[in-house]
Amino acid sequence: MIFPTPEEYTVLFLSLKVGLLCVAISLPFAVLLGWVLARKNFRGKLILDGLCHLPLVLPPVVVGYLLLLLLGRRGFLGQILSDWFGMQIAFTWRGAVLAAAVVGFPLMLRSVRLAIESVDPRLERVARTLGANPLRAFFSITLRLATPGVLVGSLLAFARSLGEFGATITFVSNIAGETRTLPLAIFTYINQPDGEAAAARLVLLSIILSLGALIASEAIARKMKN
Amino acid sequence: MLTLCVHRQLAEFSLEIDVTCAYPVTAIFGPSGCGKTTLLNLISGLMRPDSGQISIDDTILFHAEKGIDLPPEKRRIGHVFQDDLLFPHLPVRQNLLYGYQFLASSERKFHPDTIIDLLELNTLLDRLPNLLSGGERQRVALGRAILTSPRLLIMDEPLTALDQELKDRIMPYLRHIRTDLGIPMLYVSHAIGEILQLTGQVIVLNRGQVLAHGDFFSIAHQPKILPLLETHGFENVLPVEVIASNRVQYNNQILHIPPCDRRSGTHIFIGIRANDIILSRQRPAGLSIRNALSGRILDIVETHGRRLVYIDVGKRLAAEVTPEAIEELALKIGDSVICLIKTHAIRIGPDVS
Repeated sequence: MIFPTPEEYTVLFLSLKVGLLCVAISLPFAVLLGWVLARKNFRGKLILDGLCHLPLVLPPVVVGYLLLLLLGRRGFLGQILSDWFGMQIAFTWRGAVLAAAVVGFPLMLRSVRLAIESVDPRLERVARTLGANPLRAFFSITLRLATPGVLVGSLLAFARSLGEFGATITFVSNIAGETRTLPLAIFTYINQPDGEAAAARLVLLSIILSLGALIASEAIARKMKN
Repeated sequence: MLTLCVHRQLAEFSLEIDVTCAYPVTAIFGPSGCGKTTLLNLISGLMRPDSGQISIDDTILFHAEKGIDLPPEKRRIGHVFQDDLLFPHLPVRQNLLYGYQFLASSERKFHPDTIIDLLELNTLLDRLPNLLSGGERQRVALGRAILTSPRLLIMDEPLTALDQELKDRIMPYLRHIRTDLGIPMLYVSHAIGEILQLTGQVIVLNRGQVLAHGDFFSIAHQPKILPLLETHGFENVLPVEVIASNRVQYNNQILHIPPCDRRSGTHIFIGIRANDIILSRQRPAGLSIRNALSGRILDIVETHGRRLVYIDVGKRLAAEVTPEAIEELALKIGDSVICLIKTHAIRIGPDVS
């Protein structure tokens, strides 16, 4: 009764896969944009900053719908991807990853940017005079010192992806085994007669996973302060 | 040989430098905000000149017309900053080896152990920078720059953040680097006493312009240099002969100095601040001051609200005296006076070459 069924395990693994991949594809962009926003001054910086944070305040359903318009079968990018590469994004697990990544991105970016801002920019210049090229100096000094913030950001994005519902169901629907992540599965079970037990088990799993991610992020944040 | 011919517009003035620095050690002296730090950043490639050229020996680091602008990592300039800027996440050893690791073995002029011994860093190697004292941190920063086998070591007021005791402890290390390692140095400071312990070759900079360039003892009395030195703690400079580890001879008069490591018979310069000299009408009795030089007053002037009395003691000495004291002692040009100098107010300078 208390142990999940194979079907529920599929849901759990799909959620984990979506969460990890979402972090993996967001990370390079978050580091790049975090560095640009922390270190560079240029016209339109405020607009870029606003655009990056938009998914944080938009209703997730709107994000999902915009993704559908852009990447759906008739969408501008969706058509190109499907005609040239035969790749389908909408209504697949890849779309679920993308939806989670877009919604979680502002959280990750914010954390990465703050971490980079807290690193003394002169340290990178010293590294240059000591013979490190710009990339090497960035990775061995700035990014290395910002690592705790990057980890915290990744965990936040991961936790956010576990809870992603609105954008996912709008963009990739609720297809068992393909796009049915934890929240979608819980929603489905609740709407089924006799689904309460399964829903309860998944709710418990969700709580454990989310709490674990949050505690880990808090632990890293504390370590960073010392 | 470092050749500089650069122009760069700054917020309040423009930096116009056209000098050639003869080795081994040249000091850049000037008040705060005169463009010293900018100049060093131009040399190490952290800033770009608007026009001009910079070269070391045959290597062109920057040439506006030819479009040459070597990035900092290709210039091989050891840059030591006022703040040590150690990498906080790396233990001392990794900090020291950070630049060393980028060098091909043929480019490595110094073995890390040699530098670690020279700067006495053996016991600190596994510590993180936040567990080091200010003086230790600056020694690590020095070692880190030296281990990149630089063509030139540029130092931006490396001692300013330290207190006097630590300054005195680091100075011998700097003299070791100068004498034993043979790395050319460009040493920036607004403390002439510090500079004179390393070199007599000085470039005087003010508001982006080179006021004078050459041997400190021959430029110090130039009319445009003197006021600058006087407002920043003028150092009187006397050429003396060492006769014991704590005594020197000047014009048949013996002066007691703080213990130094020079051999008897060497000729060195010593520095004395104008406000460390006390004037007296008679040779005093019952005072602990060891040094009394007799001379004749040459001139009494007022600059920037300070009264300076110039006394001929064989060379011109400047003493700072309050207007009240001048009145009370009735000091006049031509009078004989005794200059009293505390032993520990005397700074040991470079050898007379």
